[in-house]
Formats: sequence, C-alpha cells, structure tokens
Amino acid sequence: MKVSPEYYDEIFPFKGEWDLESTCGLKIREVEGKTYVIVTELYQDNPGTSVTYAGRKLADQICEAKNLKLEDIVYLECTPNTNSKLSFYDEEYFQVDFFADMQHKYRQLSKEEVMKILGR
Amino acid sequence: METIKLKLIYPKWNKLPGQTTFNLPPHGPVAFAATLPEYVDISFTDENVEPIDFDEECDLVALSMMLTTQVKRGWAIADEYHKRGKTVLAGGISTMLHAEEMVNHVDSVFLGESEGRSEQVIQDWKNGCLKKIYNYIGNMPDIATVGPCRRDLYKRDLYNHKGVQMVDLFNASRGCRFSCYPCAVSYLGGRKFRPRPVDKVVEDMAGIENNRLFIVDNSLAQDKQWEMDLFRAIAPLKKKWISHTIEDDPEVLDLAAKAGAWYVYQAVYDTSDYIKERVKRYHDYGIGVEGTILFGLDNQTEDDIKRLIDFLGEIDLDLAEFTIFAPFPHTKGHDDLLRQGRIFDFDWDHYNAGQVVYQPKHMTPEKLQDLYEYAWKSFYASESQEAKMFRLFCNVALREMEDGTYRPRDRRLANKSFGRDVDRSKRNVNVRTESQMLNLEALKQ
Repeated sequence: MKVSPEYYDEIFPFKGEWDLESTCGLKIREVEGKTYVIVTELYQDNPGTSVTYAGRKLADQICEAKNLKLEDIVYLECTPNTNSKLSFYDEEYFQVDFFADMQHKYRQLSKEEVMKILGR
Repeated sequence: METIKLKLIYPKWNKLPGQTTFNLPPHGPVAFAATLPEYVDISFTDENVEPIDFDEECDLVALSMMLTTQVKRGWAIADEYHKRGKTVLAGGISTMLHAEEMVNHVDSVFLGESEGRSEQVIQDWKNGCLKKIYNYIGNMPDIATVGPCRRDLYKRDLYNHKGVQMVDLFNASRGCRFSCYPCAVSYLGGRKFRPRPVDKVVEDMAGIENNRLFIVDNSLAQDKQWEMDLFRAIAPLKKKWISHTIEDDPEVLDLAAKAGAWYVYQAVYDTSDYIKERVKRYHDYGIGVEGTILFGLDNQTEDDIKRLIDFLGEIDLDLAEFTIFAPFPHTKGHDDLLRQGRIFDFDWDHYNAGQVVYQPKHMTPEKLQDLYEYAWKSFYASESQEAKMFRLFCNVALREMEDGTYRPRDRRLANKSFGRDVDRSKRNVNVRTESQMLNLEALKQ
C-alpha cells in the first residue's frame, strides 16, 4: 500500500502518541484567502501513529513548524487511494475542527470541494 | 537481594453468550513474568478461572491485559488494591491500546515489550521513583532475548476440561509485516516480522510439558525460509499445534503436517474458489481448518453475508468462528469510523467482537447483530460446536497414538471443567462426547 507522491509536497515527521516517531504527507494550499493544511496518511511508510489518532497533536506540530496559527487554517485529513481492491482504502478527505474536549468534528469533503482546493 | 512479592493478575471478562467456553492458560502474564528478576516472588491469578484474594500479602500488583474487554475490570481491580494502599502497574496489549485512559487508573503503565526492561521498573518502584509511563513503543528488544515463559506459574488443573488439558500458547515470532484493516498488531508489535531464532524456539518448545500448543503468532506465512526451517526443526519434538495461516505452498504444508500442524485458523472473507481450494489443500495434508469469518465491513451487504454463510456449508470447515467487526483503537477501521461519526458505543466491555458498536454501511446495527447470531446457529445446527471440537480432538489423539505421545485424560479431573464441578444436568452433547472419548481411550488399550 504505497501512497503516491502526488498526495504530498513533503514528508512531515512528527511525534505521535507517546512520542512515537511518525510521518505523514503534507501539502499546504492557499485558496481564496484560506490556508488549507492537508495531512495524508502514509500507511506502510508511517512507522508510528496514524494522522487521525495523532489529531490535534499533529496539527500543533505542523503549525509550529510552518509558523501558522491553528485558528487561521482549515485542517484536512486525507486517506489516499492506494489502488487496493478493498473499498475502504479509497480516497477520502475530511475537514477536522478541533475541540478542547477531544470530541473533534469531522466533515467529509465532496469531490467538488477537493477539486477546488487542489486545483485538479 | 531482598525478595519482593508481586501479585500478577489477568482480569476476567464476560464470555460471549451461547458459545462453548474454554479457558486457555494466558500467555502475556507468563511472558512478562519471565522478564522479572529472580528476587521477585510472583503469585499469579487468572481471574477467569479463580477469584482474586485482594487481601493476599504482596508488595506490588501488576495487571496483565490482552483484551479490550478486560480493561474496565482491570481498573476496578486497581481501585480495590488502591484502597489497600498498594501500587498497581499495568501492561499488555490492551494496556497499550487504551494507554491514555489506563494512566488515570493505575500508578504506572508499561508500553511495549518487557524483555530487558522489567528490572528497571522494579528498581524504580523500590527507590520511590516509579515513572507514570514506561514507553518502549516502537523500541523492540532483540528478538533473541525472548526466552521461555514462566509456565510454572499456571495452576494446571484450572485449565483442564473433563480431564483434558488445554493447549499452551506459544510465540515463535513477533510483529507483522501486514497491516490489515481491522488489526492493531502493526501498532503493538511493529510492522516488521521478527522471527525468533529457530534454535531458541526448539529449546523453548521442548521445555513445555504440554504436547499440545497454540502458536499464536499473527501469521506464520511471512518468511517462507524461516517457516520451513522452523517446521523441520520442531518435527522431532512431536508436538501437535494449532496456528494461524501457513504459507499456501505444497512443500511448506507438507513440512507443517510432519511438524505436527493440527489445525489452522483461516480467514474466509469471500465465496471464491480460492478459499474453497485453500481449505481443501490444508485437508489434503491432514491439517484441520477453523474458518474465521468477520462480519460488518463496509464492503458487505446483507446479501453478501447471507451468501458467505451459505458458502461455509460448501467448503467443509472443521469449525467456524464468527466475529463482528470492532473498531479497536489504533486500527484504520477505528480512524475511518471515528471520522465518519459512526461509532455509537465507546463502552469497552462491548468490544467483544460479538456486539455491534457502530453503524454498519449497508444495514442497521440490529440486522448485523441478527446475521451474526444466525451464522452461529446455522453453522452449528447439525452438529454442535463442542461435538465438532471433539472430532478435531479425536484427530489429534489418533495421531498422537500413532507416534506414541498420546496421554490419556486425567480421570481425577473428569468431573471438573476449569476448576468447577461439571453440571451433570446439562448432558445433551456431553454424553455423546464423553462416550466417544472413552471409546477412543479403549482403542489405545
């Protein structure tokens, strides 16, 4: 389940749960005055915590590394298409809104929204 | 060195209703115990087969937990010991899966594999500087240092059903190079297959008094050369063993059969000829097959599940085990369902793989639950689970008789089942199986 490099501009190393060495794909896009931070799960090339499990902890690390403020960005999680025969490895994008009580809110993006952000 | 008395506990969990209950001697606690220094005097209680005496004298308490359905009981046990002023440690698979919550209930959480690390924990406790978390996730010890488990801690009579000793669990490897959708093994044991050196496996296996084992490795089919070397090396021990998948290769299957493969767990995930032939190939080599059937993945409709249940009647499985998909933490399944807002039940006692805790994609939770119940009833309609198990037992007993390793059942325990008196009012299936067992033993004489 190799993830295509088309999904990211860089590999972002981060500290996952219990500081486990972890990696994700990262793209940052400016679209219509909004900053979209897109983290992509790398599956076999991520030795540690998944992007979803890392959640807010990963978002904070990206903001710190890229000099961004969490409240100023739109944070998206991507599970990439891995060309698996199994449908649950299809491509999906979710917008994540973080809340202090850890009850984060997820909203799946439509294909049109994804196209608009990525310029496909 | 001053002796430290450690109370080691394996918490109980509620068994699934309607299924034959077998209690196997747990592997995790005795694997951990083997890593403790000699000056630690261990008293072990598996709460599934005997009650905990909370007032038994001890200096320190350790909870070893494998299942998600054990964690809440583990927290309750920790509470009891805290009332008595004891320090409680926790480790094991479900401690790792639920570590964020676990730290709120125990004094110290151990994450990872304990070889070469346990003594430091004991010393820290002794010196009054016990850490809240010992984090060795992703930092695996040398696999060659994995040694024989402390099986001497088992109270053997409690793992005996009507005179028949249950299998011992055994690890020939750790880690897994696969990262399957519902599975957390890659998080727990790493995404690299770590086979133990074959000579170490042989030495360890030879030291186990029990001739029947369950090699609990996730899949033996990860390194063909090692697998073949292993089978060649353990064959002279004449053990009989259960395992998960074996490489689908005639040479490997032949070696496995000669090495004592008794039956394997094989996932039945579709109705293809491949599955049918896979089961047949195991049987061709005299290896039994227990099908493992997972319901509730997003690619299954109600009709798919019904077709799968019907298909089981065509493939001559020796046993079948049905489970409902459970989104355990640290799996892709969990992440996906969490994002989609489909998990409606976060009570860990319900994560027993027999209860629906999420909204399935193509049916209601109630329908999925009904199909699961129907699958169990349907598969075992003509012959009960216990009777099918007994047929597998007969197969292994006959093979043992052929190679001179058969041990008759312990008649002293003929009226006991896991330490409890057998309820003779429930005779139905048991009458048949017991008389069959007597016939089998008569065969030997």
